[in-house]
Amino acid sequence: MVTAALAASFAVVVLLAVVLWLSFTDGAPGDPALAYTLAHYADVFLDAFTYRVLGNTVLFAVIALAVALACALPMAWLMERTDFPGKPVVFTLMTVALLIPGFAVALGWVFLVHAKIGLLNRALMAVLGLGAAPFNVATVPGMGMVEGLSLAPLAFIMVAVVLRAMDPALEEAAAIAGARPVAVMWRVTLRVLWPGLLAAAIYVLTIGFAAFDVPAILGLSARIFTFSTYVFSALTPTAGAPEYGEVATLSVIMAAIAALLSVCYRTAQRQAPKYAVVTGKAYRPRIARLGRWRPPAVALVTLYFVVAQLMPLAMLAWAALLPYLQTPSAAALALVTLRNFTGLPRALVLRAIGNTALLMLLVPSITLVLSAAVSWVVLRTRLRGRAVVDFLAFLPLAIPGIVFSVAALLLALFVLRPVAPIYGTIWLLVLVYVVARLSYGTRMMNGALIQIHRELEESASICGASTAGVLRRVLVPLMAPAMVYAWIWIALLTYRELTLPVLLSNGSNLPFSFLVWGFVQASSYGQASAASLLMLGLMAPALFLYWIAARGAGMIAPR
Amino acid sequence: MITIRNLAMTYRTAHGEHQAVRGVSLEVKQGEFYTLLGPSGCGKTTILRCVAGLEHPDAGEILIGGEVVFSAERGIWVPPHNRNIGMVFQSYAIWPHMTVFENVAFPLRHKRPRLARAEIRERVAKALQLVHLDGLEDRPAPYLSGGQQQRLALARALVGEPRVLLLDEPLSNLDAKLREEMRFEIRQVVDRLGVTTLFVTHEQIEALTMSDVMAVMKDGVIIQEGAPAEIYTRPAAEFVADFIGRTNFLRGTVASVGGDGDMPVASIETPIGVLACRVDAATRAGDAVTVAVRPENVAIALDEGGGGGENSFAGTVESVVYVGNMLDCLVAVAGERIRLQLHPSASLARGTNVRLDLPVEHCLAMQR
Repeated sequence: MVTAALAASFAVVVLLAVVLWLSFTDGAPGDPALAYTLAHYADVFLDAFTYRVLGNTVLFAVIALAVALACALPMAWLMERTDFPGKPVVFTLMTVALLIPGFAVALGWVFLVHAKIGLLNRALMAVLGLGAAPFNVATVPGMGMVEGLSLAPLAFIMVAVVLRAMDPALEEAAAIAGARPVAVMWRVTLRVLWPGLLAAAIYVLTIGFAAFDVPAILGLSARIFTFSTYVFSALTPTAGAPEYGEVATLSVIMAAIAALLSVCYRTAQRQAPKYAVVTGKAYRPRIARLGRWRPPAVALVTLYFVVAQLMPLAMLAWAALLPYLQTPSAAALALVTLRNFTGLPRALVLRAIGNTALLMLLVPSITLVLSAAVSWVVLRTRLRGRAVVDFLAFLPLAIPGIVFSVAALLLALFVLRPVAPIYGTIWLLVLVYVVARLSYGTRMMNGALIQIHRELEESASICGASTAGVLRRVLVPLMAPAMVYAWIWIALLTYRELTLPVLLSNGSNLPFSFLVWGFVQASSYGQASAASLLMLGLMAPALFLYWIAARGAGMIAPR
Repeated sequence: MITIRNLAMTYRTAHGEHQAVRGVSLEVKQGEFYTLLGPSGCGKTTILRCVAGLEHPDAGEILIGGEVVFSAERGIWVPPHNRNIGMVFQSYAIWPHMTVFENVAFPLRHKRPRLARAEIRERVAKALQLVHLDGLEDRPAPYLSGGQQQRLALARALVGEPRVLLLDEPLSNLDAKLREEMRFEIRQVVDRLGVTTLFVTHEQIEALTMSDVMAVMKDGVIIQEGAPAEIYTRPAAEFVADFIGRTNFLRGTVASVGGDGDMPVASIETPIGVLACRVDAATRAGDAVTVAVRPENVAIALDEGGGGGENSFAGTVESVVYVGNMLDCLVAVAGERIRLQLHPSASLARGTNVRLDLPVEHCLAMQR
């Protein structure tokens, strides 16, 4: 157990250390002429373009946050505090939306509102007689809105949890004190929930800041960069060799900003319990009656799903079925063909499916074993330095995916090449996926382990069970539902992951998501759509499994 | 001041329906302290929440101070913010983002027409003084102890001079010592202001010590209503006798009814022998009844042979437990066990032969 926990911590440290080290060195690593320097930082900080990218990223993340909250707040309130019909359906759809690959939705948006090819643009231009496209998605606000719509499910689930943790008597007391419903909402509900909502908002902002899928698919071709895509493009220059030192420096800066955001997140989160009034009683939420507002509420929620999820995915399907993109019409319908599917390079698709399947088996298994070890060491032992282990396992949460991708690339190229040449193999992907999911895994395992009273283990060992026996006969069976749930969740995240493999994949170790990425980069949008659709289709049974496990673990809990 | 007529309410949950209140009627007079007492799930809190306007009942009528605030028939439901009431919640529901002052000032700030700042300050100060929290105005509410939060909740409920005060198990989150103090203090504050109070609790001691009138509830209906002494000494049903205080129960059959019409006395055949008991006027020979005798009313003496008089029975001491302020004794009489209380200084050994006297005026027979 202890060895596994240490190995996990070691992997995190090594990955981050390599980036940090390279950001301070000049010349090719391994070169005897290698020197330590601050030149990369000077270059980066003196380049005006850096600030433009930074400005873009901040604007992008803030717009994404605003859009996500604008969708999530009303919906979470409707689900948690009103007699909205069919809540389990909404919760299930939200969870599914959380797992639909971001690049697939982004691709759908390209077809809808791209300045040149976007069907919505063309339709509006035709109907209103406009000379230019009304929308351009390849702008920072455009990308921010698309990102916001796809972050809404995450924001929704976080806000719903916050709403659930409030004692409804606080609102009832305000009503009895004579406050009208609006005053109750404004003067009590929002104020009490503020720290929790703030923490959720910062978390979503952090994710938006690190986002890769949407800015990559919408902005890269127009050379509109956010930090993630800027790092990516610096590593894949159109001419010459990449400046590894500068890329490492950018990564360090990006990681530092993200780490700062997560410090804010932790601070806000710690404020929240101060407001928790201990009653030792399960809260029965105060359910507002929608009455005649029920149809508009249902319409609003439906509108979100149609606009944010269904419309882009439907566009994806439409684009996949046509030889070239055109407005839906009878003439277009006649052109429908499966050529984009049959034309996919079969051997490559099969290899990608095989690689993805292998990753989906290995990554969750290894992550959970390591996470369980970390949780056990942190929560159940008195080992010195266990706080450090805990911190290191939390760290990946703060680090953007593209930074991990860079770190793994640099590690494989400059450190591991002589001893273990894993660049271009699936093992490099396994390593970086596992490290990136470590925080999620340990948080899940912490949650499960905290719920198991220590005396259950102690009584087992007094009854004569060895440590291994306690583990096997008591801990593992009790943690099984949470572990199964976390396993499937990590498997699904692995399936949809594009950021981590984007710098590490080639023709042999590519996962499915990278295959789609390849088509996008080659501007074969028809094939990209077909491959995305195929990917979504293959995901369906896994989603069903997830749904069963989530219900078993009590994770889909609407009332 | 509060009138409830035929109130009924059913909760609909995922697990089916639960009839929380099934046709309850009651009347709380101006200035009265009225308690709803019953085990958890008996519907007492639901009634209170219906009066507050926090629930939508299915049927019946509720009037506060003559004003109809709910009527199923006439389709009236006044929202809580227009009912002018005060309420103390079980969790206190102190707003954690406000100071003590802000918490108490809240109800005043929502009064129409608006109150002047100076008046708000003055009335908050008075309310805090009433519950001995003066001087803590600027403290953030989460930094109060449990007892202080309780007082704050009371001050907040009373500051707006509500027509009625509703108390939802306000003492259940306090430790035993503090609970006793607050029982006394709440009653004192209520008396001083003369506010009509509806109190909900599952603790019989709170109901007995605090109420003018109490109602014992079970399964959504009121079983018995009356003054505490009346409920304790003359429980109308086995459930009431059992729920309030400790009671010995003997099952039996009425052999004959005698005595004067006002206070009939019956001879009842029980497993320990024939017992003379008080009965109600409706009791007839042949009725199946349960006889209730409180432990503190059973007299005990050493058995020196010879027969006893009326309601005197021979038995053997089965156990004696020391509980501080008394000895809790169990005496076996003809296969039944009778519990009684003794002064802690008495010395009584297990196995001693004793004689029990069950005074007629303390033996109450209830229809089964």
